[in-house]
Amino acid sequence: MTKMLDDYALLSPLRYTNNWLKIGVVGFGILMGISSQAPLVPFSIAICMSLATLIFGRVPPKFYLKLLMGPAVFVVFSIIIIAFFFGGGPELFGFNVLDYHLGVNTGGLSMAFLVFSRTLGGMCCLFFLALTTPMVELFSVLKKTGLPDSFIELSMMMYRYIFVFLDVAWCIKHAQTVRLGYHDLKTSLHSMAMLCSTLFLRSWEQGEKTFVAMNARCYDGKMMIFEEKRPVNFSEVALSLTYMVAIVGVWYVSNGMLEVSFW
Amino acid sequence: MHIMEGFLPSPWWQLWFVFSIPVIMFGMYRLNKLVSERRDLLPLLAVAGAFIFVLSSLKLPSVTGSSSHPTGTGMAAILFGPAVTAVLGVIVLLYQALFLAHGGLTTLGANVASMGIIGPLAAYLIYKAGMKANINFYVVVFLAATFADWITYVVTSTQLALAFPSQTGGFMGSLQAFLAIFATTQVPLAIMEGALTALIFKYIIQVKSDALVELKVISQETVNKLRGITA
Repeated sequence: MTKMLDDYALLSPLRYTNNWLKIGVVGFGILMGISSQAPLVPFSIAICMSLATLIFGRVPPKFYLKLLMGPAVFVVFSIIIIAFFFGGGPELFGFNVLDYHLGVNTGGLSMAFLVFSRTLGGMCCLFFLALTTPMVELFSVLKKTGLPDSFIELSMMMYRYIFVFLDVAWCIKHAQTVRLGYHDLKTSLHSMAMLCSTLFLRSWEQGEKTFVAMNARCYDGKMMIFEEKRPVNFSEVALSLTYMVAIVGVWYVSNGMLEVSFW
Repeated sequence: MHIMEGFLPSPWWQLWFVFSIPVIMFGMYRLNKLVSERRDLLPLLAVAGAFIFVLSSLKLPSVTGSSSHPTGTGMAAILFGPAVTAVLGVIVLLYQALFLAHGGLTTLGANVASMGIIGPLAAYLIYKAGMKANINFYVVVFLAATFADWITYVVTSTQLALAFPSQTGGFMGSLQAFLAIFATTQVPLAIMEGALTALIFKYIIQVKSDALVELKVISQETVNKLRGITA
């Protein structure tokens, strides 16, 4: 069974630190990275957040690298297109394909580099949140945001059943695989369809059973969850503030330098 | 296809939120109304959302060995209608970003627009039109799911082209490039998802068609016709 990020988050040593602090650090990183015009800012965010994930979150480095490689295909394709089609400036190199000239110029290349760094910075922030904060903790945050109750109830129940159905799906898939259910394309299409339809019917029945079970326990459309107090300690705040000040400093220096170079 | 965190530059990621949020609000309004009328729907919708998540995390069988995941949105739109699918789509996309590292938080608006709103809406319209025109149920499902998957990719390409217009050709120039890479490679996979969805419906009708009748996806007469008169 594939391990999901949530499994790591539940075991993470940072699990019991204050949720708002973690969300603040991550949100700050994402917004600073995306608003920066210089690639240096997202790169430094990426390095800081990766170090935080690896050292404080004790995530195995090999797994973390594999995680970063996941979105690589999409990013590489899109960046190549941006490099070829975006921006102006002197052309660096080019070639002709079927009477159509393709060239990379400095503007396109720097844009591609900037987008790459932003994506990297954003992904590192997101991974930090995903690998240290289990969804269970985020529900109490969601409850405070004032979203409609039915939406939050829906997401909480969905969260529970994702794991139930993943188990069912993997069991069926293993059973099908050992019976050569995936040995060629046509068979695998049929096996897959059988798996999905069984899953749908199972989930349908499960939904009916859940309603009966919850009704029997006086469910009135609102589940109460226990929210633990998570005090922040001084070292965490100090470290987060140092990080934020450092990033703001890098932001001003690098974006300031960019403006100078424009003149 | 999920646009990664940090990929869309500043005016665009906010704009896609501006596009998506009213639709989601409408979806939540519909959801609230549905749930207050029939309380037994909430657990059903929850398991449906979980089902979409699991469906989208399964690998689709493909010829070249490259892995691809079904979007599952076409099927959801046929089963539950586009408004509710949009709300389920937001939650599924949020979970995908946090559990599987697909997509991101700033790009959530853009991803919801392509995968939660426009793709399902296309599937729903095709499905309704097809059923009205009295075409075979499985053919309609196949078409709806195929186009939902493919249109999702077209929308994503458009989003990328709007954010990164080409120097020479402008928006159209880079749209062609993004379409050439993402939309054409997706055609076989979209057909695959269409075939898979049609097969899923076939199995469901064989085993337990009353679930579909109860959701008002198809009428009892259509089921009888599909099963043959003897059934």
